[in-house]
Amino acid sequence: MTSTVTTRSRWGRGGVGLGGRGAATPPPVRTGRLSMNKFVLLLMALPSLLVILLINVYPLLYAANQSVRQGSLIDAGPLVGSDNFTDVLTDKMFWEAAGFTLVFTLVGVFGSWVVGFAIALALRTKIPAAGVFKVLLLLPWVIPVVSSAMAWNWLIATPTSPIPLMFEALGLGHPLFLADPSLAMVTVCVFKVWISFPFMMLMMSSALAGVDESVYEAGRMDGASRWQQLTQLTLPMIARPIYISWILMTIFCVNDFTTVYLLTGGGPVGATNTLLVLAYRTVFQDMRTGPGVAIAFLMTFVLVVISVFLYRQIRKSSLQ
Amino acid sequence: MENIIPPSGLSRRGFLGIAGVAATIPLLAACAPGASGTVDANTVLKFWDMPWGAPKYSDTAAEIVKGYSQSGMPSWSYQTIQWNNFYQTFSSAIASNTGPAVSGGGGFQAFQFAELGKIAYADNLIETMKKSGSYDDFLPGTIDSMKTAKGYVAMPWAMDLRVFWYKKSLLEKAGAEVPTDWDSLVTTGKALRKIGVSGFGIAGGSGYNHAPQAIITMMLNNNGGLFDKDGKLDCVTDRNIEAVEFVKQLVAENIIDPGMISYSMDNLVSQWAEDKVGFGVHEPGLALQLGDTTGDVLVSSPLTGPHGDQGTLMFVNNIMMYTNSPSQEASESFLEYYLDNMITLWKDDAVSRIPVRQSIVDLPIFQENAQFVKIVKEYQPIAKSYAYPASSGFAGLAAVDGGMQLWQFAQTVLEGKTDAKKSLESLSTELAKVL
Repeated sequence: MTSTVTTRSRWGRGGVGLGGRGAATPPPVRTGRLSMNKFVLLLMALPSLLVILLINVYPLLYAANQSVRQGSLIDAGPLVGSDNFTDVLTDKMFWEAAGFTLVFTLVGVFGSWVVGFAIALALRTKIPAAGVFKVLLLLPWVIPVVSSAMAWNWLIATPTSPIPLMFEALGLGHPLFLADPSLAMVTVCVFKVWISFPFMMLMMSSALAGVDESVYEAGRMDGASRWQQLTQLTLPMIARPIYISWILMTIFCVNDFTTVYLLTGGGPVGATNTLLVLAYRTVFQDMRTGPGVAIAFLMTFVLVVISVFLYRQIRKSSLQ
Repeated sequence: MENIIPPSGLSRRGFLGIAGVAATIPLLAACAPGASGTVDANTVLKFWDMPWGAPKYSDTAAEIVKGYSQSGMPSWSYQTIQWNNFYQTFSSAIASNTGPAVSGGGGFQAFQFAELGKIAYADNLIETMKKSGSYDDFLPGTIDSMKTAKGYVAMPWAMDLRVFWYKKSLLEKAGAEVPTDWDSLVTTGKALRKIGVSGFGIAGGSGYNHAPQAIITMMLNNNGGLFDKDGKLDCVTDRNIEAVEFVKQLVAENIIDPGMISYSMDNLVSQWAEDKVGFGVHEPGLALQLGDTTGDVLVSSPLTGPHGDQGTLMFVNNIMMYTNSPSQEASESFLEYYLDNMITLWKDDAVSRIPVRQSIVDLPIFQENAQFVKIVKEYQPIAKSYAYPASSGFAGLAAVDGGMQLWQFAQTVLEGKTDAKKSLESLSTELAKVL
């Protein structure tokens, strides 16, 4: 108990993380000068440092500059301060896109997690040709999104596509999967779950494999039901990989351009527009670089907030 | 112990300073303007072109470029730029001075880059072509469509028009006549609907320009348009409202299939191929796209609007010269050569676009295509650009043509729920943001 408290207090100060020096190591003396050895090492690291600066820091700074200017891809244009952010935040289209991005992300993360986790649990039972099933279940994740989006488009886009014809044959009317705004939102979300659940299934399978069978034996001896074993043993024990998978899938969903762009392009009537698609279209089709980059920055800010929140949950689950 | 610093050591700040300077050098080098000056015969200048058709097009165009040889002038390389993200490709190349000296591109790209000072005007070349006589070979209005207050931003090489097509067999099956005006379009559309065929094929999917171009074609057909004579935005007009009301009527009567609001161009072409579309606006190459060899897919005569007007939307495909060319003289010499020799593209059947030169229209191979001849004869004289009724183009047209506003407007119209005037008011508000 004492040990735990000590660890927590140290983590709370943020001074020592994983791989820290430990309690016995004296704090380093800060002198502000480098030894020759370190200088040589840093010199050797310089090319990598330059590459990082060029491919990460420079574009970020360049984009930040463009977000406060009114220009084009060729000419950054005059400084307009926070006008681009104000314009974006007062634009109805931005909030509609933010709303669908939220729905798309929530359904994408939790929908794919529920399906992936359920299949991972099912695959723990002994079934014949389990390996074949696993490979088949991975296909939606393995196939390039461009190919699967084209395939889905072929399946549902027109009245003569196979799925609408099947619905018609079953007497279920003529659903407009991509033409009706509400149905298009459902279709895009279902597609996202379909291409994402194999990833969740893999994450959850590996997490479940790490749970010791003796824990369940102990639970059963204490009279725990299947449901209690799942909710009070399995889920708390794999909480960390669950949070990690949620963080990753949140990033995948918010940054998912291809799914929406290829399947609906953000339509009809903006119903499936996500922030990323909106940012792309604002910059490259409306030629309004400033507002487009401002959207991307706002999106990144929200993503960082969500990731930090989930990361804190990971730390919390680790401590528990 | 390693914290004891020898006297000869470098401070952290010093190191970071050196690293900062070292990092800045390549950045500054990358940002430096390109070399300029004289150009010798050993230099190779760049001509970038778009894939305007089958692979045969690019091969033939490359051969034409290869054939260029002028004493004391540099040679030219040919490169195809894909349509995907072409604007980014051109923008980044031009911004870094690594772009072409001469290029094709989007319909309004030249106007856009001219406003940024990146286009070398073609006025001098036009004077040269007037002297050689080749200027007179261009169809009326085609060169003038490139004119701005500062000069000609590019030279035309082909045309793209929106044309009314029909499927003869489907109209016969429905017992309908080929429409000649808006009323007969509704009558024909209703007859086609009875046999499960759409009477006004349209691709309204997000990002596809087909639906907005079809609706604007109807506006121009009613002597409407997006701008006034001075090129100022003016789209909430009685004629436009009437045209949008008409398209909404086509939606309400199911003449436009409700699913078409989400169609891609591939979806629309496949519906034409599957006999699910009997009439509609399309590009000049529809019959070739469908592989029709039986004469079933035909161009109808232009429709006449309710006030007796005719009109359709036209884009002039053009070739532009850039200011970052090492030699403007070399660019002009090459472009004149290319425009005089591009006839090979049609002679070799490498392109299925409408030419801008009478000598190409007169070619037997072009005259054999009755649909193309009809388009040149009946549509070209009534064709208007996005800028209509303004006489010259401007940079904002690129954002209008490629932007979100038009297809969102088109989807609103195709959804059929919003009043025509409100749709146009909303379009006007959104277009004002990008113009």
